[in-house]
Amino acid sequence: MTMEIEQIEIRDFLGHTPPLDRLDHETLDALTQTIEITYVRRGRDILKVGENNEWLYLIRTGAVEVYTRDGKLAGHFGEGDWVGYRSVLRGGEINMRVTATEDTLLYMIPGATFRHLMEQNNHIANFFSERKPIRIRHAIQDMRGSTSAALIATQVRDLVHRTPLILDHHATIQQAAQAMKNKTATALLVTENERLAGIVTDRAFCTKVAAMRLDLDLPVERIMTPNPVTIPPNTPASEALLKMARRNIRHLPIVDGDRIIGMVTATDLIRYQSHNAIYLINEIYRAESIDALKALSRQLPQTLVSLVRSSLTAYDIGHAISSVGEAITRRLLRMAEARLGPPPVPYAWLVAGSLARNEQTAHSDQDNALILADAFDADTHDAYFEQLSRFVCDGLHDCGYIYCPGDVMASNPKWRQPLRIWRGYFNDWIDSPQPKALMYASIFFDLRTLHGEHDLLKSLYQTVLEKTRTNTIFQTYMAANALHYQPPLGLFRTFVLEKTGAEEKALNMKKRGVVPVIDMARVYALASGIGTLNTQDRLQAAAEAGALSQSGMEDLRDAFEFISTVRLQHQATKIERGESPDNFVSPEQLSSLERRHLKDAFEVVRTLQDAMEVRYQAGRIA
Amino acid sequence: MFSRLLPPNLYRSYLSTRLRQGPLARYLQHPFPSRGQTVEATEFLALDFETTGLDVRKDAILSAGYTLIRNGRVVLGENGHHIVRVEKTLSRESVVIHKITDDRMRHGMPLGALMDILLEKLAGRVLLVHYAPVETGFLNAASRRLYGHGLPLMIADTMAIERRRLERRHIPIEPGKLRLFNLRREYGLPRYNAHSALEDAIATAELFLAQTAHMGNRKPVPIKMVLG
Repeated sequence: MTMEIEQIEIRDFLGHTPPLDRLDHETLDALTQTIEITYVRRGRDILKVGENNEWLYLIRTGAVEVYTRDGKLAGHFGEGDWVGYRSVLRGGEINMRVTATEDTLLYMIPGATFRHLMEQNNHIANFFSERKPIRIRHAIQDMRGSTSAALIATQVRDLVHRTPLILDHHATIQQAAQAMKNKTATALLVTENERLAGIVTDRAFCTKVAAMRLDLDLPVERIMTPNPVTIPPNTPASEALLKMARRNIRHLPIVDGDRIIGMVTATDLIRYQSHNAIYLINEIYRAESIDALKALSRQLPQTLVSLVRSSLTAYDIGHAISSVGEAITRRLLRMAEARLGPPPVPYAWLVAGSLARNEQTAHSDQDNALILADAFDADTHDAYFEQLSRFVCDGLHDCGYIYCPGDVMASNPKWRQPLRIWRGYFNDWIDSPQPKALMYASIFFDLRTLHGEHDLLKSLYQTVLEKTRTNTIFQTYMAANALHYQPPLGLFRTFVLEKTGAEEKALNMKKRGVVPVIDMARVYALASGIGTLNTQDRLQAAAEAGALSQSGMEDLRDAFEFISTVRLQHQATKIERGESPDNFVSPEQLSSLERRHLKDAFEVVRTLQDAMEVRYQAGRIA
Repeated sequence: MFSRLLPPNLYRSYLSTRLRQGPLARYLQHPFPSRGQTVEATEFLALDFETTGLDVRKDAILSAGYTLIRNGRVVLGENGHHIVRVEKTLSRESVVIHKITDDRMRHGMPLGALMDILLEKLAGRVLLVHYAPVETGFLNAASRRLYGHGLPLMIADTMAIERRRLERRHIPIEPGKLRLFNLRREYGLPRYNAHSALEDAIATAELFLAQTAHMGNRKPVPIKMVLG
């Protein structure tokens, strides 16, 4: 009997729905055969607490809500989402009520078939794993795996940034050399009747002109390599690189039919591949003027895009982008010192916030401060440091790191103080944790020396950490403060779903996504007397110190990595569209799979927030 | 002509006394569901034919697709799709519509074999179609040709169900409104692009689930509410 299952649209839908998109054709055909279809009217229950469930449900059209036993909204799901798997995996017992909020068409997979698939297929087992952190972990791996071949995804036409040097074949060797010198090019293309006839690389001047003592007035065609290897504009960058390696060449003209489009060099490819942050930083340290720094700083958004598209981890991207901010700050300080002369007393230039934590994403506000040696005398010395601060803060502003709206900058005299005053500040913040003090604490507990005397901050930190480790009242306040922002319940179709049932249009991935984890990591670190700053490093160190469990740490770290990656991808997309990168992610721009993983990640964060509340008795304050 | 006038169960009993063997006789041994039983407890065979035209005397069945509704759910495991071998060469137009080529047709089954399968699948079940005259017309014609008698059927027609619903509410019926595609959209069902008899049978079955879910105000729906 011909079933022709492979032709029906339902099979296509299944085959495009994660995790079934990983199934081979035979398994998918067999699975489709087991499907039953049901239609549930709006307002009716699909699963009732206390009853038994033997089916895995896939929502084809419509929407459902899931409620916990005590009637709390636990999630809102729509097309392409799965429900019922928990009860099947538990042996049938239904713990959550699932209700149709719209007329809903559902595809049902028998529990036995589902369990068999879980056993046979790791990917499916991970997808439906009871342990959300495991699901997030695999989502992160998938994200890296699927796009890691950045060079494969990039076409050579995207790497060409300037028009190639082109000369007619009648031009002289001398003219060719002159042109290459003027344009600092390493190769030029030779044309005959507008068509590509050959290529001259700088090597030719060594191997041909000099070695064979050629007359410089000879036509350039005497030294060109005729009929050079070319590539069409849609060649993947990876293929171009292979071609160069195989033929031992460093230049590939890009031609579209007879038309010369450009040229890609080995340097172009390497620069692209090695995440040009390194190149950018190099250039920054060589920059001689503010204008040069400004020009380099404008490349930062593009650098972020290429880092994100190379599928690096959010952790690595944060470090790379922060290194750029660091380099610009250091360069400005060197320029200031060159202009103002050596400092009258030792000082340390400190950065706070995301730059201190190595978590910068794009241009962000600047947060900085100065600690001066106790020999500092305001009347005689402050004029120097005021000028230095102003020069650096203005320079940073010009480079896109805008002035801190809260005036947390070294140009503000309050944050340009000798060590003893700083000690007083920290003592106050820790001993009387008023709201304002807590705000400053959350900024200045992420503090790093970028330039100058490292010992100043080090000695301050030692005493501060000793206090934060022992002062439980301070810990309670910090924990309560850290629980201020909570992630939402999830994302559904076009809105953000809140615990209260409220619906928002977009989600602030900074405030509601990364900040809750950053704040928790800070509390764990301070309470354990750990001086590390980076959120993931803090979590790791805190787990080693016993402030949270190893599994709790891993879960939170992965949730953070996933949330950060979604945020970075959003920013990269914004930049690619020519818009300024912001933190507002609207649910429509995410795939249903991403929404699912985000929901998991948010749940992990909320669970650990609850744990923190208990551990530090933060409930007493909130 | 009895087939048109008698209730299906009566005609079935009458005919079954006259036939001793063959596919039709076996089919007739199964009584139809009673009109008072619930939709939930009834099995429906959703069926669709692709034909060369609409004239049952001149045109032929090209393919047949069906699926089953059991316990109020479409059961894809009971799907079937069959190509029928037609003696005359296909007209160009229908080839385009149904994507069935002469070549594939040669591998199809004779009409008799298809009817054997369909009668087995239909036994004791309600035939579910969208716009009954086509399928019932061709089934009857085939039955007469092969077995010498018309085919007693219990029929639910999703188009007729919708027409009755709208007429009861005095809602005017615009042209095209009752087409399968449009009705599915109205009930929030997904858009199926493929055009095959099986696809249309599944589409009809889903529409039927939606229609009956909207009936009865949370009380069980007796099948007499959906029969012609």
